[in-house]
Amino acid sequence: MAIMRMGYAHVRVTDLAEARQHYTQTLGLNEVAAADNKVYFKGWDEWDHHSVVLEEGGVGLVKFGFKAQYADDLADIENKAQAFGATTERISKGEELEVGEILRIHTPSGHLFDVYHDITSGQSDVGNVNPEAFPRDLRGIGAPALDHALITAEDVGQMERFLHDVFGYWTAEKVATSLDPADQHNIAIWMTASNQIHQLAVLEGPQSKLHHFAFRLEEGWEITRAADLFAMDDVPIDIGPTRHGITRGKTVYFFDPAGNRNEVFAGGYYSYPDRPMVTWTPDALGKAIFYHARELNERFTTVLT
Amino acid sequence: MTTVTVHPTGEVVEVRDGETIMGAFYRTGYAMRIGCKRGGCGFCKIDVHEGDFVYERPVSDEVVTPEEAAQGVCLPCRAVPSQDMVVEFRENSLRLVNPLMRYMLSGKESSAHQPRTRVPV
Repeated sequence: MAIMRMGYAHVRVTDLAEARQHYTQTLGLNEVAAADNKVYFKGWDEWDHHSVVLEEGGVGLVKFGFKAQYADDLADIENKAQAFGATTERISKGEELEVGEILRIHTPSGHLFDVYHDITSGQSDVGNVNPEAFPRDLRGIGAPALDHALITAEDVGQMERFLHDVFGYWTAEKVATSLDPADQHNIAIWMTASNQIHQLAVLEGPQSKLHHFAFRLEEGWEITRAADLFAMDDVPIDIGPTRHGITRGKTVYFFDPAGNRNEVFAGGYYSYPDRPMVTWTPDALGKAIFYHARELNERFTTVLT
Repeated sequence: MTTVTVHPTGEVVEVRDGETIMGAFYRTGYAMRIGCKRGGCGFCKIDVHEGDFVYERPVSDEVVTPEEAAQGVCLPCRAVPSQDMVVEFRENSLRLVNPLMRYMLSGKESSAHQPRTRVPV
């Protein structure tokens, strides 16, 4: 295994103080550092230094970080990325707070992906010895960890090949125009490199854009409770609580104070490399995305940052 | 209290002090094409013909470019009128979805500005 998981989401926000309130008090992340015009956060069940970086000025995605299992993985992924035709650069240790050397990849979708192995790492908030189930002083929804993200790209098939060839991802589910692999046009893909049902999804759309990044919750009732808290805190809900047909996860989509879409996601089935890929056809897209309502709202596929 | 008049239908909605244009239309029984409601996506853009406004929160130049702003493009989810305004919605995005609410509020709050025409539902 090379890529273990999405390590961080680095996004821009228009008002750092307001965003800080959302990510700490509503989502329940812990602020771990602040430097220049950036604030760093982690969830209570994460052991790496940070999983969210907010940067004041604008809106939308700056980059995603992906943690590789071994230091040697960076050179291997670099070779594969260059063989694919992607531009890469090396970022020295220390240029990203608490992160070691970074392989920065300019993806075919126009996004920046940072691949790293070294990051200041310790233990989750419940510790590594005789841990409790959760910290008793959780705030808001008490999100334990970053989970996955969805980005848009003009050529979804190209990004599927990139993530397969360079990151070692496999496709758990896809929306395709045909069930015949020889005659398929991919509209969207859900990919992973672990039992986590998806680490990154790609939807056909403009280059370089963010659809959402998601936080993990454990139980379905926590999704409903999260929606209640969003109502209390005047957080605009895009859709939910509901279930996805794709991945079977329970979900609420909502927007942070800058307009970046967030999601809380619970459940979903286990992925394995040998599990047959699930294919959805475009006529079932509504059910695939929103299993209960079975229709897409206007915002879901068009509102991006 | 300010008013927002919709061009070309002439519908008038009163906006409370500090209230956004979107908030005033929602409160008075309308629905509009809206995205993140946070000024981040630009999905709700409208065009300002007359009047002025301030944004209640910072709005990124990437969402409303300086050129658009100079032409009067406005995000109603963040815009608070500072004087009476005339605006135009795009692609028939404004719909009256609760005529009863509109009627009740018009009677109580908008006596000086009764709707002159009704926006097609």
